[in-house]
Formats: sequence, C-alpha cells, structure tokens
Amino acid sequence: MAADQIQHTHSGSLSVQNARMDFAGNTVLHDVSLEFRRGEVHAIIGENGAGKSTLMKILGGYLSATQGQLNLANADVQFSSPKAAEHAGIVLVHQEILLAPHLTVAQNIFLGRELRRGLLADDRAMNAQTTAALEDLGCKANPTDRVENLSIANRQLVQIARALSGEHHFVIFDEPTATLTPVESEALFKVIARLKEQSCGVIYISHKLDEVKRISDRVSILRDGKLVGTYTTDDLTPMQMATLMVGREMGELYPPKPSPHNTTTALQIENFSVAGFVHHASFSVMQGEILGFAGLIGAGRTELFEGILGLRAGHGRVLKNGAVVEFKTPRQAMDAGIAYVTEDRKGKGLLLASPLTNNLTLATAEKFTSGFLMDRGREEKALDEAFNEFDIRAKSRKMDAGQLSGGNQQKLLLAKMMLLNPDVVVVDEPTRGVDIGAKKQIYEFIAGLAKAGKAVVVISSEMPELIGLCHRILVMRNGAIAGEVTGSNITENQIVMLATGTQKEAA
Amino acid sequence: MPTFDFKNFDVRGAAPFIALVALIILGSFVHPNFLTFDNLIQNVATRTSFIAIIAIGATFVMAAGGLDLSVGSMAAFTAGVMLLFLKSQEVDAGIGTIALAIGLAIVVGGLCGLANGLIITVGKIEPFIATLGTMVILRSLFTYLANGGSISISPALKDIYAPVYKGTLLGLPIPLLVILAVAALCALILYRTPFGRHVVAVGSNEDVARYSGISTNRIKLWSYIIQGLCVGVAITLYVPRLGSANSATGLYWELQAITAVVVGGTLLRGGAGRIWGTVAGAFFLEIIGNILTLSNVNVYLIGAVQGAIIIIAMLVQRSLRRA
Amino acid sequence: MKRRQFGFAAAAAAVAAATGAKADDMALTVAVSIPAADHGWTGGVVYHAERIAKALEATHKGLKVIVKTSPDGASQASALEDLTTQGINALVVLPHNSDELTGPLKAVKAKGVFITVVDRALSDPTINDIYVAGNNPALGKVAGDYMKGALGKADVVIIRGMPIVIDEERQKGFADAIAGSEIKVLDSQFGNWSRDDAFKVMQDYLTKYPKIDGVWCQDDDMAVGVLEAIKNANRTDVKLVVGGAGMKEMVKKVSDGDTMMPINVLYPPAMVGTAIELTVAGLMDKVPVRGRYILDATLVTKENAAEFYFPDSPF
Repeated sequence: MAADQIQHTHSGSLSVQNARMDFAGNTVLHDVSLEFRRGEVHAIIGENGAGKSTLMKILGGYLSATQGQLNLANADVQFSSPKAAEHAGIVLVHQEILLAPHLTVAQNIFLGRELRRGLLADDRAMNAQTTAALEDLGCKANPTDRVENLSIANRQLVQIARALSGEHHFVIFDEPTATLTPVESEALFKVIARLKEQSCGVIYISHKLDEVKRISDRVSILRDGKLVGTYTTDDLTPMQMATLMVGREMGELYPPKPSPHNTTTALQIENFSVAGFVHHASFSVMQGEILGFAGLIGAGRTELFEGILGLRAGHGRVLKNGAVVEFKTPRQAMDAGIAYVTEDRKGKGLLLASPLTNNLTLATAEKFTSGFLMDRGREEKALDEAFNEFDIRAKSRKMDAGQLSGGNQQKLLLAKMMLLNPDVVVVDEPTRGVDIGAKKQIYEFIAGLAKAGKAVVVISSEMPELIGLCHRILVMRNGAIAGEVTGSNITENQIVMLATGTQKEAA
Repeated sequence: MPTFDFKNFDVRGAAPFIALVALIILGSFVHPNFLTFDNLIQNVATRTSFIAIIAIGATFVMAAGGLDLSVGSMAAFTAGVMLLFLKSQEVDAGIGTIALAIGLAIVVGGLCGLANGLIITVGKIEPFIATLGTMVILRSLFTYLANGGSISISPALKDIYAPVYKGTLLGLPIPLLVILAVAALCALILYRTPFGRHVVAVGSNEDVARYSGISTNRIKLWSYIIQGLCVGVAITLYVPRLGSANSATGLYWELQAITAVVVGGTLLRGGAGRIWGTVAGAFFLEIIGNILTLSNVNVYLIGAVQGAIIIIAMLVQRSLRRA
Repeated sequence: MKRRQFGFAAAAAAVAAATGAKADDMALTVAVSIPAADHGWTGGVVYHAERIAKALEATHKGLKVIVKTSPDGASQASALEDLTTQGINALVVLPHNSDELTGPLKAVKAKGVFITVVDRALSDPTINDIYVAGNNPALGKVAGDYMKGALGKADVVIIRGMPIVIDEERQKGFADAIAGSEIKVLDSQFGNWSRDDAFKVMQDYLTKYPKIDGVWCQDDDMAVGVLEAIKNANRTDVKLVVGGAGMKEMVKKVSDGDTMMPINVLYPPAMVGTAIELTVAGLMDKVPVRGRYILDATLVTKENAAEFYFPDSPF
C-alpha cells in the first residue's frame, strides 16, 4: 500500500491537485491545487463556507475528494480514514472539543493507544509523558484532572497535546486560538515555532488575521470554494487579506464608537461576590455606553454576570435604574430588561436539533401566543424580521439551528435575546468562531444598541475587539476587578498588565 | 403550502404509522377474523387504552428528559383507592358516585405524579432511582389496601360502571374515543403551547432552557403531574372492565409504556416528543400480541417473536431515517 | 435427647412469659414463616395462618404462635435466624424457594427445632419432620375428569399460568385425564396468572375459534378475566369454565349455582392451617404426626361449597 511507503519517507511536501468536492449536487470545492511544505507555516483563510473545512477534512482523511489527487513526498496517496492519514504522519487538531469528559487528561491523551506494563495500563508513565506534553503547551492542567473540570481553553490544549503525541509530519490546526486567551495563544505559537524548527509542516486555519500575519510564512485564500491565490505573508497586510477573502473592500472592521447619550446609570453593582469565583466586584454601566470586560480565562467575568443575573448563586447589591433589585432566577433578570448572550452558543444558547423559529422564540414564547396556543404565523414573521435585521443566512427556513454556520448561529442567538426587548445587554464572547464578515456585522449591531441608548457589556478575550468597540474596559484578575482603562489609556499593554498582575510589580 | 414536500417529509415521524400499517397487513394473512371491527376495534383498540393513555403521559416525561418507572404501581394504587371509595359508597351508589370516583382517580394519579416530580426536582434525585422508589412504595401501599388480595366492587355496581369500558358512542368504543381525546389534547399542549416548547427545550438541553429563562424544575414537575393524571384517566377505564384490582394490576405497565413511547419515535434521551407516534406504538405492541395469539406460533416462542418484531421495526425505522 | 432440649426450652419460655401456667401445662412456641402477601394466593396463606394461630392459642394454654411474613427468599432466611434466636420449639415454613432456604433451614433444624414444610419441598427432604402440600397433578386431573364427564365431545381451550413446575404438573394431570376422550384441546397459552392477561388471551381465543365449548384456566384469578371476556363478546357457545385454587368469589359462584362455573378445584391456601394444627397436635397433644401429607385436590360443588367459603379471606 502507498501509505506504507510514506511512513518511511521523512521528507517531501504534501499537495492536492485539482481537488473538487460535491455534496448532494452542490460543488463546495472547485479544482483547488495547493502545496504544503515541511518546515513552513501555511495559513488558510476564508469566510465561513469558503471550503476551508472541507479541504482540511480531505487532507486529514475524513472525506475523500470527488475528483483530484493527493500527493505526499512525490507519491500519490489516498486516505481511507483519519487513521490512515495519521499513519502517514498527518494529524488534524479539531476546532470542536472531541474528548471524553469523564476521563482524566492523561487517559484522553492516550485513549486507544494506552501504554502498558504487562496486562495493566501504565498510568505512571502516561501521567509523566502527559505532564511533559502539557508543559510544552504552557497548560497548567494536571494529568489526573478529569476533562469535564477543565476550562474550554485547557480542553483545547489537551486536544492539541493528544494530536501531537503521535508521529507527525504535517499538523493541521483548525482555529486553535478561538477559545484561548492571549497568554495561552502565545504558548501555542511557541509550539508552532518549534514544530517548524523540527521541519514539520503546519497548516493553520484562523479567522484572526493579525495572528496569521504574525506566524505564517505563506497564506492561501479561499472564497466560495475556489482558490483566490497563495501569497507570501509578508506581502499582505491583514486588511488586504480581508479584502481578498470577502472579494470587496472591507472598510473599517470596527464602527465608530457612538457618543454616550447621557450619564444615567442603567445598572449598578456593589460588592458582588460569587463563591469560589468572584469577590466584591463593584461597577456600573450607563445608558448608551459599551463597557468591556477583559481578563484571562478563569478570571471570573462570566461567573460575575451569571451571578448577577440569577444563573448561579451570588450576593451583593444590584441597582437597576437606581432601584435595588435581586434576581433569584434568570427569568427575573429578563423581566427587568437585562439580556445575557452566553459565550457557549452550542451548549447554552441554542437547541441545535430544533428549528430556527423554535430557537428564536424560546426565551419569549409567551409573547407569541394567541389564547393558550403558539401563533405560528407571528413566529414566522419574527423569523423574517430576524433574517432581515441580523442578516442571518439559512439554506432553508425549516433547517435546524445546528446546521447554521457559526456566524449565523451567533446572529440567531442575538436575535433570540433581543426579542426580550432589553435595555441592558450583556454579550459574552460575541464573535468566537465567527468569520470576519459576520464579525463586522455583529460589531455594527453592538454599536447600534449603544446608539439606541441601551447599556451594553461586552465580555471578550479578544483584546482588539474590546479596544475597537468599548468606551471603557474593566479588567478582571482572579475574581476581582483589577482596574479600569478608558480613553487614551486603552491599549493592549495596559490590559495585559492588569490582567496578569504585572502592573503592581512594575509600580 | 398544501403541496406535498418530499424533501421535508418527516420519515421519522411517519415510521411508527408505516410499521403499524405493515403489521396490520401481516395480521390479515394470519387469521381471517383479524381484520374485523370486533377484533381490531372492539377488542384490541379498547384494551390498548390503558397503556396508550399512560404512554401519552410518558411522552411528556421522556421528552423532558425524565423517566417514570412507577406508572404500573401508580395504576394499581389509584385503582385500589378508587375501588375502596366505590365499595364504601356501595349501598346507594349511582352515576353520581361513579363520576365522583372518576374524579378521585384522576386526582390521586395527579398527586402521585406531583410526589414523583417533587422528589426529582426539589429532592434532586435521579428520576430512575426516585421512581424506582415510588414504584416499590405504591405497590406496597396497594397490597396494604387490598390486604394482600384483591379489591372488588359488587357485580351490581360494576354493571352500572361497565359501559365506560364496553360501551360505544357513535359506533366507536368509549376507551378508543378517550385515547383520541387525550392524545389530541396532549398533542395540542406539547406542540402548540409555550409549555410544550419548554418541555422539549428542557429535554434536549437543560442549560439552553435555563439560559432562556425557563424554570426547568417547574417544567419537569408538570411533566410528572401530567403523567400521573394520565394514569388516573387510564384507571377510570380499567376499573369498569373487571370491577377489581389485584397484585397483578399494572404489572410491567411501565415497560410497555416506555416501549410504546420509543417505538413511537420519541427519543429515550429526551428532546422530542411524538404523541401520535406513541399512540401508534401502543397499538403496535398490542397488535403484535393479538396476532401471535391468533397465529399458531409455538407458545414457548411467542416472547422471542414479539421481541424480534419490535427490534426489526426499530431497525427499519432507523434505516429510513438515514436514507 | 430431644426431650431434654424440649424441657429446657419449655422452662425458658415459661420463665420469660412469667405466666401463671400450671407446672404440668406445657409451654410451646411455634413460629410460622411465610411469604408476604404479594398475590392473591399468598394473601390467603397469610390470612389462614393468622386465623389458625389465633384459634389454636385460644384452645391450647401455654401455646404461642408467631406469624412472620417475608417479601423474598433472602429476607426469609434472615427472619429464620431472628426467630431461632428468640427461642422457638417448632417452625412451620412456606419457603420462597427451596434452593435459597434449604441451608438456613438445616441450621434451624440443627438447633433441635421441629420443622414443618408447606407447599414447596426442600432440596433435602430429611430436614422436615412434617411436609404438607397440595396436589398439583391432581388439580389438573380433577378438572380434566370433570370436563370429560360434563362435556363429552367438546372443543376446549386452556389458559396456563407461567412456565414453571407447578404449571407443568397441573398441565400434565389435565392431559392425562382427557387422554383418549372426545375432548379436543384447541389451544393452550400463558395468562401469567393474571386477570388482565387472561382477559386478553380469552378475547383472542374467541376471535380465533368460532366455537369453544369449555375453558380450563389453572387459577381462579385468571377465571375472572375469562368470564368477563366471554360476557363482553356475547358468545353463547361456551358452556363451562373451570378454574382452580378456591378463590372466595369463585367458590361463591359455585355455591350460588352458577351455570357456567358449576365447580371449582381446591388448592387451598388454608393448607398452612393444616400444617400448624398438625405441628401443635404432635407436640402438645402427643399424637403421632411425622410424615408427608398431600391434600386432595377436592372438587368443590354446590353441595359442599359452604365448607370452603371464607368471606373474610382476601383470596
């Protein structure tokens, strides 16, 4: 078999020639030819639906192309399964977390190829190797932690460690930093640099163009299933990349910050604590203001707002429009006009196996009734309006939410929460895993909310996003508000110093 | 849009009905009397009523991601309370007494469901364990009420009540009409009310439901109450049949109800409920038994054939879904 | 030796009870261990055990009868240990199953307790001093003989219980009785000793066969369902339904002269009473009782029905 030959070939590039992929009569990839070299970081960028994932799945053995040829080290190859691709040294690091939640970190990393001593699993050896692998990635998890207790970022790192634990000549990363904080991303970039030194080929898919600019050697751009071109990264600016991706001039990614309406405080929080996560946080947000929340993953930002909004236990004084309120259930917060758009749209935001209308009206079902029954006509009308207002693109009105792309899911989630007609909106990681076109639309929408006089809180781990959008940014560290940056002080440096606590040492 | 949309044709939803039709065609070859009004409607449809109505309730519980193993014992207990009430009123009992007893059975069923729901939501006990516990408790309470034997009402009183099981209205057996009425009402609740939407949301992803401001405990509680009310309704049809209940009453009904729900296309793990599928599933199970008794299959092998037909039906349903 | 132990136990019981029993009055403690009332027949066992216990205590001074029910074999084994610890002279036991309880009963026997086994035989027959049981093959035979005589040439259907030994024995007794007669068995299916299941099976029999002369079902619970199914179908061809075990509702029908159900065949739960009385008779009245007692499967007719009718029994 061809794959056997390849195993012993330790040099040479990976290429696809005239790859074409048809799904149910739709061509999602048209005659794409690309070459990936060892010792090089090759970025693939494109909007959602441009064909990046399909291409990666062909390379990784998850799909076989309708037409075209795969070539590794000058020999034609065919991968019948992901296992065959891994055998040939090509591994794919998935964007979705594909780990067994109840097993430990080490058990996951060695799942299916456990080290043994005699008949028994050699836990000591596996734990030791896991510790070393995680240290390389800058991950602080223990080999014996159960995966379900890890943060999403750590799970992603465990998944990367698992992919790299076998022999690899080409590593494909599918949006690896989508869930990582800047610090963790830095650790990953170091790993990528080392892979490169070891003359491994890295194929890097990302929506974050500044990252692409920074770490890649060459960049290929896909649009509507066709290859726009392959460029030397140094020759392009991120803005040029974006223009090539969308096929038109992008303009500014961030809309101008709307000038604050007035100085009426919409929501004021005093001494709010959430056991184990947040201690004595106090802040306020005004009508028409966009307030950012920055911090490392685990700093307590999400937990703070979940506590305030009745999604988890917490205590402290909460004033809405000057009146003291207490939210024991999420419904009470909603009724008071506060909407929370979760960071976990697949796990907590949308029913992936339910139709679009049912998702859209889930939080406001009582508003769509006539008598005791749901009024389907009005629901359909609400979906039309959501399609228009948020530019949601769905192949069919009857499809399930899970079949939408990430960006469209995020827009649907926003539309769902906006039906509550809130005057305070908390958006948590609003653009995670969302392509650049949809990102721009979401930013415009957030700015629009502020312009309409609503108070907006943006929790994000993407600093450019916070800097581009917010009037004011609070930085959390270890469950407390570490500081505030505003006006001309809003720089990445300032935020990182507050988030990591380096400021104190400097001062 | 009245045109038939092949692309969006709900194969999964239609599968139980296709299976039912296939089974009826099979049955018509087994015995000439199979395809008669007396057999299919007067006998089989009527005696399916208890399981069908209980399974409709189970559809709510399972769509919301729960499970109720106590329905069989709950049925026996409810029947016991109802029969004891009737016995106590025997001297000058009439239609009024029976109406009162029917109301009592439905209330008792609802209270049993409330108890299950409270143990599961407030007590935070896994539904499997909670309802396994109430299953044993209710069975024991029935044995206590029956003093270890059976509870029967006088033949005279039974004759007044009997038409509820044997009688017909517009040519159709009353229990069949009750199934249709309960199913229609429950389908309306599950598919067309905010509550129904919330049931499905809680079953498919409890976190999403919570983050959408839904009180998941309230939804779960009500799903168990509906289950209990359905058990009560089923019992008001069961008691007039023999006018008695004993330790075999309701035995394994929970398994039959759960099987009917799953055969009907509702997922065991929750997130979708199919009321009419459940009704079809209940008929499907009862008709298998009917066909096997009418056929000349070796009596010792009846169980094997029964199990095989259920598995084949599920396999066909699954392959249809993939197509 | 046995006598010495008895004397010791009796003295202990007498002291414990601290009653004013006369020195020559014998004190005796008998334990009765039976399954809890989990279906109609065992409900009858509990009822009769308590009835006879009370009656014997009234007539025998110094006698104490402890009736203990257990829901399953394992708890019956622990109950036996507890009873033995309390100090008993004799044990009347209807074991849940012989495999699980033969060992524990052997241990009780080793303590010198007089043992009477009811209905279900132990794997080691040397343990019991008295064995009292109904006659399963005879239950089938008496029913078969009666149907042969009453119907002559006829088509009958059978509803069996569950596939276990008792069912097999009854079935075989029936088959032997009708062998060579003009009775033709159309069908024979399981009704799980349940009214509801028997109702279904009977409905389907009535659909399947245009003419049925007689029905034999192994147990009176199932007969309840059978009678209702026939009534609902408005069929007049069925002339005879024979049940078994002597449930009070059915015995009442017999004594009232019901035409479709003119007889019953006994497999009486009251056999536990027979066992207790024999035990007490042997130990207190000093009459010889050791041995095996197989009760007749008595044919209950309109004439003798009153003898077997217990309106207060749950069965």
